[in-house]
Amino acid sequence: MNRRAVLRAGAGLAGAGIVGGCLQTESRSVRSPPLVENRPDAVYYPTHSEGMEMVGSTTAGEYKVAAMYSYPHRFWEVTGADTNKKELDGSHAMHFMAVVWDPETKTVLPNASLTAELTKDGSLADQTNLYAMLSQPMGLHYGNNLEGDGDGTYTASIDIGSVPDDRVRRSGDFRGRFTDPATAEIQFEYSERARDDLPYQEYDDAGNRAALEPMDMMAPSATVPPEGELPGAVRGTATSGDAVFVVTVQDTVPAGIEGDGQYLAVFAHTPYNRMVLPSMTLSGSLADDSFALESTLDPDLGYHYGAAVPEVTDGDTLAITVDTPPQLARHEGYEMAFLTMPDAEVQL
Amino acid sequence: MDFDESLPRRQFVKAAVAAGGASALSACLGRAPRAGEPVPTGVSDISNLPQRQHAWNDRVRVDADGNVHLPRHQTFLYLTVDADGPPEDDARGTVEAALRTLDRAYERSNEGLVYSLAYAPSYFDRFEATLPDSVDLPEPRRLSGFENPTFDTQDALLHLASDRGDVVLEAEEAMFGDRSEANGVAVEAKLGDALTVDDRRTGFIGAGMPAERQAQAGEPISGIPDSLPVPEQSPLFMGFEAGFAGNQATEDYVTIPEGPFAGGTTKHVANLRQRLGDWYDEQSFAERVMEMFSPSHAEQGLVEGVGDNLGADSGIDAVLDPETIQQSISDHGRVGHAQKAARANRDADGNVRILRRHVESTDDDVASLHFPSLQRRLSTFEEVRAAMNGDDLTDNPAIRQRVNNGILEYIFVQNRGNFLVPPRRHRALPTPRPA
Repeated sequence: MNRRAVLRAGAGLAGAGIVGGCLQTESRSVRSPPLVENRPDAVYYPTHSEGMEMVGSTTAGEYKVAAMYSYPHRFWEVTGADTNKKELDGSHAMHFMAVVWDPETKTVLPNASLTAELTKDGSLADQTNLYAMLSQPMGLHYGNNLEGDGDGTYTASIDIGSVPDDRVRRSGDFRGRFTDPATAEIQFEYSERARDDLPYQEYDDAGNRAALEPMDMMAPSATVPPEGELPGAVRGTATSGDAVFVVTVQDTVPAGIEGDGQYLAVFAHTPYNRMVLPSMTLSGSLADDSFALESTLDPDLGYHYGAAVPEVTDGDTLAITVDTPPQLARHEGYEMAFLTMPDAEVQL
Repeated sequence: MDFDESLPRRQFVKAAVAAGGASALSACLGRAPRAGEPVPTGVSDISNLPQRQHAWNDRVRVDADGNVHLPRHQTFLYLTVDADGPPEDDARGTVEAALRTLDRAYERSNEGLVYSLAYAPSYFDRFEATLPDSVDLPEPRRLSGFENPTFDTQDALLHLASDRGDVVLEAEEAMFGDRSEANGVAVEAKLGDALTVDDRRTGFIGAGMPAERQAQAGEPISGIPDSLPVPEQSPLFMGFEAGFAGNQATEDYVTIPEGPFAGGTTKHVANLRQRLGDWYDEQSFAERVMEMFSPSHAEQGLVEGVGDNLGADSGIDAVLDPETIQQSISDHGRVGHAQKAARANRDADGNVRILRRHVESTDDDVASLHFPSLQRRLSTFEEVRAAMNGDDLTDNPAIRQRVNNGILEYIFVQNRGNFLVPPRRHRALPTPRPA
C-alpha cells in the first residue's frame, strides 16, 4: 500500500505570499467555513484548503490513474453558465478523487467519464459518478463526496470511460486512442481519525483575487506550458471571464485534422497557475471567415482548441467567441470565474 | 433466516421473497396479505396456454388507460445445466415435466403465476449446430463507453412473477427446494433435477412499494438519501411511472415471426444500481422531469406528480426531432432520458420496437433495478441503448457522458445478459435447430 499524505499547503502559501491562517488538527464535523461575502466574478482565494491522502496509482488499459481522498467538501457543478452548489451531507465520509492520464505523454484526460465504487469487506459503501472538476490546490481531477462504511480497508473500483469523438477530437498519435473503457482497482486503508489528521488551513485573505499554489499531486497536472515553451508561434493573448487565451499558429495541421494551411491552436487556462480550461464551445473568426475552434487532444499540443485556416496574416484580428463556458465542476475559488465570458479579440 | 415479525405485512412479504427458501415460504404463508385465500389453479391441457411464453399482457392487471401493470413480486433465477455438452433427452423430459407442474398448479395470471424460461447464447454453444439466422442473439456485451458490467452467461433464466409473494416463493421451492406440492398439485418433476441455481435476484413493482422499501430498520438502503424522498405513489424509485402503453412495443411486434423459434422473442436483462441523493436532493421537480422525460415536458408542465396524468402515453414522440433536442440543450443544458432513447425505439412507421418490463429491487440492500427488455432482434435493444447513451449529443460540453445526459448520472449497470425466450413448444432445453 502506497500511502502518503501529500499536502504542500505550507509551500503553497509561501509561494503565494500569504501569511496568516492556522493549522488545525482537531476533529471537526463541519469543515467548511462560510463563504466570503461579495465573492468577485473571478478567481479568488478560498476560505480554506485541505490536505489529501494519496491512496495509490495503477495502470488500467491504456490509462494511468491515481486516486486520493480528502475531507468531504462543497463544490459547484456547472450547467451552461449556471452553478449548482453541491452541499455536504452528514453521511459523506470523504471527497474521493482520481486523475487519469496517458502514461506516455503524461497528458491528463479531462473528458473520460469516471465512476467509483467503494466496497468494504465485500459490501457496497457507495458508487457514484466522479465529476470532472477544477481546484486550485489539486488542479484538474475527477471527484465527488462519497459515503463510507466506517474505518477499514476499502477497495475503490474506478471505471474509466471512453472519450466520445463528438466530445473531443483526437489528432496525431492520439487518433483512435481513449476509445476503450477500463477498470482500475485500488485498495486503501481509511479511518476517520486519519482523515481528520489531514492538514486543514483557513486563510485570512479569502476573497482576494489570487489563487493558491497547486500541491504535489503525485500525478501529472493539466497545465498549459509557459508561453516560451509552447509549440509553434505565440501570436497573442486575450482574457475573458478571468480565463486566459493564448493564441498560437502552427505551421502544419496536426495529422488527422482536415485542412492544409496553417493551424490555429488556442490554449485556454486559468490565471496565476495556467491550469487547462477544457470543455468549452469556442468559435473564432478571422478575416471574415468563421470557424469552430474544436476541442482537441493532441500528443504534442496537449488539450487545446484548434482550427485549420488557409493562412494567418500579420495584423489579422482573431475574434474568439465563447459559446459555452468550461463545463466542469469547480472547487471554492473557481466557482465565480469562467462563467460569463464575453468575446475576446487578439491581434495576430 | 430470521424474519423481523414487526415488519408491516407487505414489507414482510417482500423481505421473504428477497430471502427465498423454505423458511421464507413458511413464514410468508402465514403473513402474506392474502395468505389463506386460494390461488387460482392452472390447466391440465397446456394447449390452452399460448405458444408465446412472453404473452403476459392480457394475463395481468391493466389500468383504465390501458397501461399494463406487471406482477408485484418477481424472481429471476439464473440457471446452469448440470452436465457438460448438449443436454440429454431425459434432462429435457425433466424440465418439461417440471414446467407442466407449474402450468397445472397456477393460473397463468397475476393472481397465479406468469413465468418464462429463456436460454443464453452460451447455452446454445453447447451444441455443434448454431442458431438459425431468424434468431438474432449476440453474446452480451458492453453497451456504453462508460460501463464495465459482469456478463450473465449462465445457461438459462427462469423469470417468475405474481402479485402474490407466496406464489413466487412456493413455485421456486417446488422447482428447486423440498416442496412436494405446488398450490396443492403434486410436484412430479423439479427443474432442480436438471438445472442448478447460480444466482437469484428479486424484484418488485407497484405504487407505494419503493417508498415502503427505501428504508430498512429505519436506515435508508444504499442509493437512497437520508431524506427518504421516494414519493408515496411512485411505482419506481426514481419517482415517476414508466412503461406507458403508447410507448411500449406490442407483444406481437417483439415476437420472432419465422423459423423454428417463431412465436418466441429475445430478452435482454440488465441489472442497474441507483444512487438517488443528487437526483432528489439537488434537483427540482422540473429538473427531474427534464432529465427523465425531456426539457420540453418541463417547459410545458406536462408531468404532474408521478406522471399519472400522462394517461397512456408520455408524449415523448413530439420531442424527438434533432432541432427540438438541440434547442433544449441550448436552453437548458440538458437532454431527457426518454427523449434520447426513443430516437432509436421507433420503426419507419412509428411503431415502438422494444417492450420494457423492468422492476425495482433491494437485493443486497441496494436500490437497484432489473431491466428486462423484449424485442424481435436482440440488437434492437443495443441500438436503443446506444441512443440513450447520447454520445452524439456530447458535442455540446454541457452534455457530459453521464452528467445532464438523461438519468445516466444516477444509474450504474452491474450485469447484462441476453436470452432467447423460445415458444412454449421448445421451452425445455431446446437444440439450436429444433424440428
